[in-house]
Amino acid sequence: MKKTYKIAGLNISVSSLYENVHRLCADYISDGEPDIAVITNQSDIDFERKKADGRYSDGYLETLAVYRKIAETMPEHDTVLCHGSALAVDGEGCIFVAPSGTGKSTHARLWRQYLGDRVIMINDDKPLIKITKNGAFVCGTPWDGKHRLSANITVPLKALSVLSQAKENSIRQTEPSEAYAALLQQVYRPKNARALMKTLDLIDTLTAQIRLYSMECNMDIEAARIAYEAMKG
Amino acid sequence: MKLNKEFLIHKTDKETVLVPTGNAAFSGVVRGNKTLGAILELLTKETTKEKIISALKERFDAPEDKIEEDVAKALSELSKIGALDE
Repeated sequence: MKKTYKIAGLNISVSSLYENVHRLCADYISDGEPDIAVITNQSDIDFERKKADGRYSDGYLETLAVYRKIAETMPEHDTVLCHGSALAVDGEGCIFVAPSGTGKSTHARLWRQYLGDRVIMINDDKPLIKITKNGAFVCGTPWDGKHRLSANITVPLKALSVLSQAKENSIRQTEPSEAYAALLQQVYRPKNARALMKTLDLIDTLTAQIRLYSMECNMDIEAARIAYEAMKG
Repeated sequence: MKLNKEFLIHKTDKETVLVPTGNAAFSGVVRGNKTLGAILELLTKETTKEKIISALKERFDAPEDKIEEDVAKALSELSKIGALDE
């Protein structure tokens, strides 16, 4: 089955074997002319099975395969996939990045508790970041993590915080060179060397455009207060 | 020996970073100083350990045994992560 979706400003036609990906992407349906065509087959699903930790259906694994193919081509469109939790406060985006299990989603939840309706979750797991000369933008996508928190919106990305767990909360602004390696670990790395080179250039541009922070945090709501006060700019 | 084509060298303002493509088995990032940066640049063309040591001795004002030790260590680590075609 084949349908087209508009994600991060691009019309992406998706031809799949199973229906799952189309259910996942339903909020992003588009009738525009495709900019990108993604076609999956059984070998793509088998590849995801080898990567996945656990037993999953072919239909679910195909959703991962589709996003991998999208992520491979995104650097050509000045866009990268970032493993992180992205939200908007009063229309301005910020993203929390860290290795899996650190507590990105928990920290984002604390922001929702602290700031209430002022927070819109853009994507709790794998947002896309479009990087232009006029600034960076964080885009909602259907691949939004186990809590299914996302919105089909794009907002200017103003700040990025690298999280690590600690007993006490503290946050400080960092230079691009300090955040670079941590961010690189959480950005999708294409198989294609040219696309990877473009990705690295995009990260350079991104880190020069937005405010960068390093935060040690616990799971108390105080973590959100301290982070928000430091990051609101 | 030569740097494997699945590894890219990227320089930031303060350090050199070696980044594997999604095809590489190694999924981390190698961060290094000027010495590692110089070694990696030399590895973009077919070379040998001896040639690298010789080039670094000309470029850096450091004790010879220190340079030899640094090169041996760097090559060993790069080999471990599959970044060298030997």
